[in-house]
Amino acid sequence: MTDLSVQREGMPVIDRSRLIFWGVAILTAVLVISPLAPIIVQAFLDRPLYMSDAGLTLDNFARLFREAGMLGIFLNTLYFAVLTMAVAQVFGAVMAVIIGRTNLPGRQWIGEIFVWPLFVSNLVIAFGWFTMYGPSGFITLAVRSWIGVEPWNLYSLTGMGVVAGLSQAPLAYLMCLGAVTKADAQLESAARSVGAGPFRALWSVTVPMMRPALIYSAVLNFVIGIEMLAIPLLFGGPSGIQTVTTFLYDQGINAAVRPEYGIVGAAAIILLMLVAFLVWLQGFLMKGSGRFVTVRGKASRPSVLDLGRWRWALFALVFAFVFLTIIAIFAGIFLRSAVTFLTPLVPFWKLLTTANFEMIFSSANYVRSIVNSVVIALVGGLIGTAFVALIALVARRSEFRFARPLEYLALFPRALPGIIAGLGFFYAVVWVPGLDLIRGTIWILMLAFILRYIPIGFGAIAPALSQVGDELDKGARIAGADWLTTVSRIVLPILKPALFSCFALLFIHFFKEYVTAAFLFQPGSEIIGTTMLQLVAQGDNGPVSALATIQVIITAVFVFLARRLLGARIYG
Amino acid sequence: MADLVLDHLTIQYGDVKAVDDVSISVASGEFLTLLGPSGCGKSTTLFSIAGLNKATSGSIRMGDKVLFDGATNTFVPPEHRNIGLVFQSYALWPHMTVAENLAFPLKLRRLGKTERDERIAEALKLVEMTRYADRYPYELSGGQQQRVALARALVYRPSLLLLDEPLSNLDAKLRERARVWLRELQERLNVTTIYVTHDQAEALAVSDRIAVMSMGHLRQLGTPKEIYERPADSFVADFIGSSNFLAGRMVQQEASHAVVELKNGTRLRTAPGQARSDGSLVVAIRPERIEIVPELCENSFLAEIGTGTYLGSIYQYHVTIADTELRIQTARELPPGPVHLRIPPEATAVYAEAPGEY
Repeated sequence: MTDLSVQREGMPVIDRSRLIFWGVAILTAVLVISPLAPIIVQAFLDRPLYMSDAGLTLDNFARLFREAGMLGIFLNTLYFAVLTMAVAQVFGAVMAVIIGRTNLPGRQWIGEIFVWPLFVSNLVIAFGWFTMYGPSGFITLAVRSWIGVEPWNLYSLTGMGVVAGLSQAPLAYLMCLGAVTKADAQLESAARSVGAGPFRALWSVTVPMMRPALIYSAVLNFVIGIEMLAIPLLFGGPSGIQTVTTFLYDQGINAAVRPEYGIVGAAAIILLMLVAFLVWLQGFLMKGSGRFVTVRGKASRPSVLDLGRWRWALFALVFAFVFLTIIAIFAGIFLRSAVTFLTPLVPFWKLLTTANFEMIFSSANYVRSIVNSVVIALVGGLIGTAFVALIALVARRSEFRFARPLEYLALFPRALPGIIAGLGFFYAVVWVPGLDLIRGTIWILMLAFILRYIPIGFGAIAPALSQVGDELDKGARIAGADWLTTVSRIVLPILKPALFSCFALLFIHFFKEYVTAAFLFQPGSEIIGTTMLQLVAQGDNGPVSALATIQVIITAVFVFLARRLLGARIYG
Repeated sequence: MADLVLDHLTIQYGDVKAVDDVSISVASGEFLTLLGPSGCGKSTTLFSIAGLNKATSGSIRMGDKVLFDGATNTFVPPEHRNIGLVFQSYALWPHMTVAENLAFPLKLRRLGKTERDERIAEALKLVEMTRYADRYPYELSGGQQQRVALARALVYRPSLLLLDEPLSNLDAKLRERARVWLRELQERLNVTTIYVTHDQAEALAVSDRIAVMSMGHLRQLGTPKEIYERPADSFVADFIGSSNFLAGRMVQQEASHAVVELKNGTRLRTAPGQARSDGSLVVAIRPERIEIVPELCENSFLAEIGTGTYLGSIYQYHVTIADTELRIQTARELPPGPVHLRIPPEATAVYAEAPGEY
C-alpha cells in the first residue's frame, strides 16, 4: 500500500469530551449538594437559614430529644420499617419461587398482577386499603356484618406495617425471581445427579442463591419503610401514631404557623444518617456475593417443579392472596370513584355517579395537576434519561480521572429520602439567591425528581452497558473517533433498549411521586400526588379515588405503549 | 510508511511492571510478532502502541512522530494515531452492517461518498468478502468476521497494523489457512504489522522477526530460525518448541566446546556456554535431536524406553538418563527395552539459569 494514508487534522485545542466529563460531574455534584447543604446548615442554626442574624447552635438536636414523644416516634418508625421489610421479604420470596419455578396454573398472569403495586404510588395503595379494609371500609363492613366483630385494625402500627409490606413485596419478588429463574440449570442438575430430589435440589441449591437478592431487597425495603409517608399519614394520622416522616411532614407543612426549621433540620439529619448507614450496610453485606453468582454465560432455563395434586390447592391459595391484597385494592379505588358512597349494605349500582370525575374535570386546579404530572413525567423522563445515560457513560466508559467518584456521587440519592430531598430543595430555593426564579414552578419539581431517581435510571442502564464489550469502544477510538463520537455513534445505538427502559422507569416514578413534591409545589405547580394529599386531608374520598383512577389509567396506558412501541422492560 | 520504535518502554500497574524496559524497533513493512505465554505483557505492549493504555515511562515513536514519551508527558490519543487494530473478539459494531463498519472510519476522515464506496469495495475485495457487504456481523461465521475486522482495520490505510491474537477464535484447520492468507496479504500490502500471539507455531510461520516476552521482559528478538535454533536463554528454549533440561556442573570450558558433569557423575560434551558462579548450569536438548545409535560411543547413554505417546507423525517416549527423565521423538516406533542414545554436542545449549528460575 503506497502512502495514501489519509492524515487526520491536528488535535483540537479544547477537547470537547473533557468538557463533557467535567460538565456532567459538576452538574451531578451541584444536584446532590443543593438539597443536602441547606439541611445540614439549618440543623446547626438557631433561626431560619434565610435570616441574616442566624447563629450557630447545637440546641436543635437537644430540643429534638427533649420534645415530648420523640423517642416514641423513632421507635414507631423502626417497628414500622422492620415489619414492612419482614412482610415484603417473606411474601416476595415465596411468590418468586412459586411463580418462577413451579407449574402453578396461571402463574404468568398472577406474576403480572403481583407487580401492579410497583406502578402506582403507595399513596394510591394506601387509599385503596383504606377504602376496602379501613374502619368503615367495604370489606371490613362486610365481614363485620357477617361475623359480628371487626377482625382487624388498620389504624395501628401493625396494620400499617402489613399494608406497607404487602405493597413492597413485589420489589423483593422481582429481585428473587431474577435469582431463581436465571440460576444455572446445571447447578440443580448436578444436585439431582448426586441423588437429591427435585424439591431438595431447589431448596438446597437454588433457594440459598436468592440470598444476595434477598439481602439487597431487604435493606431496600427497610429504607423504603423508614422514608414512607403515605401509609403512616393515612392510617397513623387518625389514631395519632407518628413516624419520623409524618413528624417532618407536619412540622414542615406547619412551618408557616410555627417556624420550627431547626428541629426539622435536626430530625432530617438523623433520618439521613440512618438511611445512609443502611445503604452502606447493604453494600457491606453484598460484599463477597460472588460466591452466589448464579448468572453464567450459557443461558439454560431451570426446570419447572411439578406440584402434582397440590397444584390447584396452591392455586386457590395464591389467587385468594392476590385477589384480596391487590385486585380488591384496585377494584376498591375504581368502584369508589364511580359511586356516591361505597358500602356493602347497598348494591353499588344504585349509588353510581359521575360526580367525582365531574368535580375533577371542572376544577382548573385538579386538571392542571394532571397536566403537570404528565408534563413532568414526560419531559423530566427525557431529560433524566439523557442525563443518567451521560453519567453512566462518563463513569463507566471514559478516561475521566474522577469516573469512580462520579458514580458514587450519582448513586448517593439512594440514601436521600424523598421527604428530605423535597425539604432540602425547598430550603435551597429560599436560601440561594437566584433560585427564586424556579420556585413554585414545575421545573424545581422536575429537578428534584431527576436527582432523586438518578440511581433508578442508572440501574436500568449500567447492566446493559456492561454487556457491551469495551473493545467496541476501543475499536472506534482506534478507527479515529474521539470519546463523544464513540459513545454517540457506537455505544448509545447499541444501548437503545436500555435507554427506553430507563425512560419508562423514570416516567413511572416521576408520575407517581408525591413525597418529594410535598414541600415544593405551589398553586400552579401542583401534581396528582400533592392534590391527592390535600384531598385526603380534607376527607374528600370521592375525588381522591377519581384522581387515583385517572392516575392508574394513565399509567396503565403508558406501560402498555412503552412495552409495545418501545419494547421497554419495566418490571419483567 | 515509517518504522516504529519502542524505547525503554515500561508499563506499571501499582507495584506490578506489566512491561519492563522493552526496546524494539520495527522496520517499515516488517511483520513482527510479540510471542509469549498469557500475562507476559505482549497485549499490554500492543495496546500501548495503539494508545488504548498509557505507558509509565519510555517512548513510542513512529517515524518522526512521537506517540508517547514519558519524559515530556506526550500522549497522542488513539484516534489521532492512524493505526489499524484487529481485536481478538473482532469488535465489529453489531448495529452496523459490514459496509457501515468499514464506512465509519472513513466518515470520520471526511471522505466523500464516492471515494468511501471505492475504498470499501477495495478493502472487501482484498479480504474476499465483497458479497457480504450488507450483512450484519451476527450473520457471519467466525472466519468471515475475522476478515471483516481486518478489512475495517485496513480500509483507512493506516501507517501501522496491529493484530491481537486475531486467529485464536478460529478452529485449528481454518487457523492454519488463515495465517498463510494473512501473511500473503501483508506482503502484498507491505504494511508494517505487529502481531500478538501465544501460539509459537503461528509465530514461527508468519513472522519476519519474533520478540519473545515473559513476565514483562523482552527475552529474545530475532528471526524465527534464530529463535528456534539459538534460543537466548532457557526460557526461550523451553517455550519455543520444547526442550529437555539436564542439570549439571561446568568441568571444562573451551571456545569450541564445554564439558559438563551431570548429577550422577557422567560427563557430557556440549556446545560452549556460561555457568553460574558456583559452576551449576542446565544443558538444553530438543527431543527430536536426541539420536539412537547402535553402540555406545562418546556422549551416549544406555537407557530404557518408557511410556510412549503416539502423536500422529511422530512417536514420543519417556526415557531416563542420569536420573533425569527426558523426552525423545522418533519417526519410527521403538520396541520396549534398552537402547543407546546419543546427545550430539552441537545440538545442545548451555544456560546458567534453568527455566522458571528468573
